[in-house]
Amino acid sequence: MSRASTKNAVAAYLFLAPAILGLVLYTFVPLLGVAGMSLTQWNALKAPVFVGLQNFKEIFTDDMFFGTSARSTIYFALFTVIIGTVYAFLAALLLNQKIIGRGLFRSIFFLPFIVPSIGAVIVWMWMYEANFGVINYVLGFVGIDKIKWMGDELTATPALGLMTIWSFGNFIVIYLAGLQGIPRTYLEAVEMDGGNAWHKFRHVTLPLLSPVILFNVLTSIVANLQVFVPAQVTRGAPNMTTLYMVYYIFRTGFQNNRFGYSAAVSLIFFALIAVVTAITYATSRKWMFYEGE
Amino acid sequence: MNTQNRTNLPLSLVVAFMGLACVFPFYWMLRSSFMGNLEIYSYPPVFFPKVFKFENYPNALTLFPFGKYLVNTLTITLPSVFGILLTSTMAAYALARIDFPFKKTIFALVLASMLMPGTVTIIPIFKGWVALGFPSGYVPLIVPAFLGGGAFNIFLSRQFFMGIPKDLDEAAHIDGAGHATILFRVLLPLIKPVLISIGLFAFILYWNDVLGPLIYINRNDQNTIAQGLANFRAGFGTDYKAIMAASVMSVAPAVALYFFGQKYFIEGIVLSGLKS
Repeated sequence: MSRASTKNAVAAYLFLAPAILGLVLYTFVPLLGVAGMSLTQWNALKAPVFVGLQNFKEIFTDDMFFGTSARSTIYFALFTVIIGTVYAFLAALLLNQKIIGRGLFRSIFFLPFIVPSIGAVIVWMWMYEANFGVINYVLGFVGIDKIKWMGDELTATPALGLMTIWSFGNFIVIYLAGLQGIPRTYLEAVEMDGGNAWHKFRHVTLPLLSPVILFNVLTSIVANLQVFVPAQVTRGAPNMTTLYMVYYIFRTGFQNNRFGYSAAVSLIFFALIAVVTAITYATSRKWMFYEGE
Repeated sequence: MNTQNRTNLPLSLVVAFMGLACVFPFYWMLRSSFMGNLEIYSYPPVFFPKVFKFENYPNALTLFPFGKYLVNTLTITLPSVFGILLTSTMAAYALARIDFPFKKTIFALVLASMLMPGTVTIIPIFKGWVALGFPSGYVPLIVPAFLGGGAFNIFLSRQFFMGIPKDLDEAAHIDGAGHATILFRVLLPLIKPVLISIGLFAFILYWNDVLGPLIYINRNDQNTIAQGLANFRAGFGTDYKAIMAASVMSVAPAVALYFFGQKYFIEGIVLSGLKS
């Protein structure tokens, strides 16, 4: 290696040092830490005791919350990401048309994204309120009886999902950017061949935006599996159906002071996220819209 | 998509209706924050307060010290935003402008870590801070921002650096500039829109964070706004007018910041072109 390129390499690694340190200290080492801690009983301020796989045994045989928590977390994430992706894409398509007040509406659709999730949960739970809530009031006009949104095991997670989808403005902006990047000539070519709006959408827009959709779906699945704030407010009610995983980890660790057990739950949660993400990625060829396959 | 030049009226109505649904929760929060108990719990709901009860705000402030929480939040948020901007652009510069061994490997690791779920490791990281003598306080909340600033931000600024001709670096190098000068004096001023959008995203992330403060801040007078609001909701769950007033105060600064920076915000994402 020449002297100049050695100097460059040193500079590069100096510039990368914080990021590499972050990867090591905030990702690799803690992952090993989770694995190690999961084999211990580590309560409050006492020293950790090695207990082998006992935590895992308890999780799978004697934990009345874990199964419900895992299921509702996956339900929440899938509901939110599937419906949210359709919503964000549709909204982007609409906001890319010739409509009145387009700039204003682009800002308005994005706005919920920046609302602190705790603020969103507070106002939405107030709107979902069964007796005085405005949502039941509005639904009354179309003949729907009062629904106990946050009090019913069937509706609590979808209700929180809709609230989360409301804040998907960042995805709308990203899809909008993608739509604007589509070369006009491609769309005109479809027109020349006698294609209609659907053909343009199906054979140009969707295939070109598929990589963006996949990226958004993957990152938002990972993000929404890690939902925390709604559960922190509901405390898991009704009947543990909103006891999402991160809140459960938080509770067993920081509130019940069972750090070893909490690490074991974290490790299983990590595996669960990896599996859901891998399945999403592996099946993406089937539900995505690449041309010519 | 649309090759016609006429405004599409039916679609405009659909968008207007959806837009109304988007702003409605904001309106509902604001309207509730000005109501008395009788009005807020009336059914059918009242859409506009008969009398504006401005005193809800000073009343909420006695239990929800917004000024103190604001100072606490900024104490965490501002250095964190700086750390994210600094260390993510440094990493992005190395990945975009310098050739060095294992560059591809490191870039692949950075990309892969975008899918790393951070909440999985809160337990060992907390134990790590305890071992280092920081079981609580702001240090564990701020320091991570100086460790690379997040994979997505590295990726985003790298994309922008890739779009700038390398001749610029070479010209600066001939003039005797080192890598630090090239990055901070030549390149960063050219990617201002992306810096603003990374900065705003980071600001919102820290402003809205609840989990971090719940783990590391256990003294009331050190609470952040989001944490204080969560505690307020937990402690005074039925006093909706006060909770709504506190919520409005907590949401308003983020909304104001967004309108201030939205031009750059959207440009920052759009210009990245989402190309790989």
